[in-house]
Amino acid sequence: MNPLLQLKHVRKEIGRKTIIHDLSLEVFAGEVFGLLGPNGAGKTTTIRMIVGLMGITSGEVLINGISIARDFEKAIQHVGAIVENPEMYKFLTGYQNLIHYARMTTGVTEERIDEVVQLVGLEHRIHDKVKTYSLGMRQRLGLAQALLHRPSLLILDEPTNGLDPAGIREIRDYLRKLAREEGLAIIVSSHLLTEMEMMCDRFAIIQHGKLVTIESVQELSKQIEKVLFTVEPVEKALQLIQTRYPHINITHTDQGIEIPLDYKEIPNLTAALVDGQINIYGIQVLAKSLEERFLEMTGGNEIV
Amino acid sequence: MSNLFSLIQNENMKIYRRFGTWVMIGLLVLASVVGAVITKTTYREPADWKAEIASEISGAKEQLKEKNIQKTYKEHLQQQVKINEYRLEHNIKPLQSNTFWGYLVNSADIISLVTLFTIIVAAGSVASEFSWGTIKMLLIRPASRAKILLSKYIAALLFAVCMLGLLFLVSAVASAILFGIETIREPYLAYQNGTVVEKNMVIYVLQAYALNCADLVMMATFAFMISAVFRNQSLAIGLATFSLFIGPQITFFLAMKFDWAKYLLFANTNLTQYIDGMPMVKGMTMPFSMMMLFLYFILFNAIAWFTFQKRDIAA
Repeated sequence: MNPLLQLKHVRKEIGRKTIIHDLSLEVFAGEVFGLLGPNGAGKTTTIRMIVGLMGITSGEVLINGISIARDFEKAIQHVGAIVENPEMYKFLTGYQNLIHYARMTTGVTEERIDEVVQLVGLEHRIHDKVKTYSLGMRQRLGLAQALLHRPSLLILDEPTNGLDPAGIREIRDYLRKLAREEGLAIIVSSHLLTEMEMMCDRFAIIQHGKLVTIESVQELSKQIEKVLFTVEPVEKALQLIQTRYPHINITHTDQGIEIPLDYKEIPNLTAALVDGQINIYGIQVLAKSLEERFLEMTGGNEIV
Repeated sequence: MSNLFSLIQNENMKIYRRFGTWVMIGLLVLASVVGAVITKTTYREPADWKAEIASEISGAKEQLKEKNIQKTYKEHLQQQVKINEYRLEHNIKPLQSNTFWGYLVNSADIISLVTLFTIIVAAGSVASEFSWGTIKMLLIRPASRAKILLSKYIAALLFAVCMLGLLFLVSAVASAILFGIETIREPYLAYQNGTVVEKNMVIYVLQAYALNCADLVMMATFAFMISAVFRNQSLAIGLATFSLFIGPQITFFLAMKFDWAKYLLFANTNLTQYIDGMPMVKGMTMPFSMMMLFLYFILFNAIAWFTFQKRDIAA
């Protein structure tokens, strides 16, 4: 499968400072790809380079195989984006804003505009001026303008910013649906890590303008940290486990016994506990959250 | 690929959907009407125009006797004498401000207001997109930056054309109502190839409008350039209006001392200097000024285009 978006050794220098170092990644049709990184890591710069708002010092950005730098008009045709906040013309109505962007591409009919307006749930307020909109409504209008021309690559910077919980869920479900059913490639950046964990298939972590890692969320869920066994009697169980795994550090908490264990060992240990006549009330896998992984990779809350 | 026409349509929408634009349009209409009313109430016709013309002729002849008189000025005086003699001969009264054509010619002075408003629009068209943050939305469409910039420039000039048309129309209506149209057939006396010819007054009015437009186009282009380069509307408006009002004065002082002043923009924007026969620097001609204006025009547009094309859009 050909990637919809390809970054090849992308580098950005501003003055003498290198903002992005040799960044390479690929995003495929049908996936939601998360862009993570602490403040100032270069997420927005990366997005700006992808959509041609910023020049690329060296390297290449290909959208559908077309270079954004060499053939901008052709490459950008299939891209819908919100870069940072969805800024709109406040003195125009939401509808006029959409007309404005519709005129800049080909093949967006009035029916399509109505369809998108419905999709983002703005039909009751679309003929009001944007200055009367709440942040959440602007976010929805921003999404509408990005979807207007049926893009195959959707780039959203903080798409759930300003939305209420119901709105967040709605947008998340909708984005997943777009990726699954219509085969869009979607790039999202967000600081809300739990949010990203629920939304993305894969994610890249960027720090200091360098790519730290690309991982899939599925893999992440297999990176077990600990397994929590709630058992009775505890003393007997502890003894049993300790003799079975003499080199493993076992902790006993109020919830039960926490053991750093491999995924495949869970059934074996369970069987052993049952054989040892220990009552098992619960087995819980304590997987690493994206947040923990993120902090682990980026070394905490470091900004510079 | 978006076409230029739709882009201009977009720019027009952004100009005319704003309240401020309608305030400017209202002010222009007001200025034109108030100008006509003031003329009506204050203008006094000369009691004996023939005597005045006669004294003008003798005055000019007196000047013509002087030795070191500038050549262009001399020609201008000679033409005036011929035209004035023609007036006395054929009993054609000079154009009075309180007539239909008279006020219409004077309304060309209000074009400076159109210039100011066009500066405001041109200065805002690029800079506002930056201050609103909408530039990020605008430049991620299948339209080249050059096309977007061109559409903005054209929209600003279209605004100027509309304002000029409106000024002409409102002035004509106000003039017709306040001064009547009895004198509409009065001819305009022009000097061509050594003889005085009678022409339709419309030509004179349009000429007055056209000559005042050089300033308008140049300052609008200048403001547009500043707007594209510095992305700051206030700076663009400030610099453009400041130079609009102060530029000619400074150039005038420089022109008294230095010959090179003739290459300055403001030595050339006032094209009426050739009609009055008093160019700012000796030896300047209408074609020379046209050429200089054209060069400045190209320069301003090239700077605007180049910086806009290359710029990284951040924050």
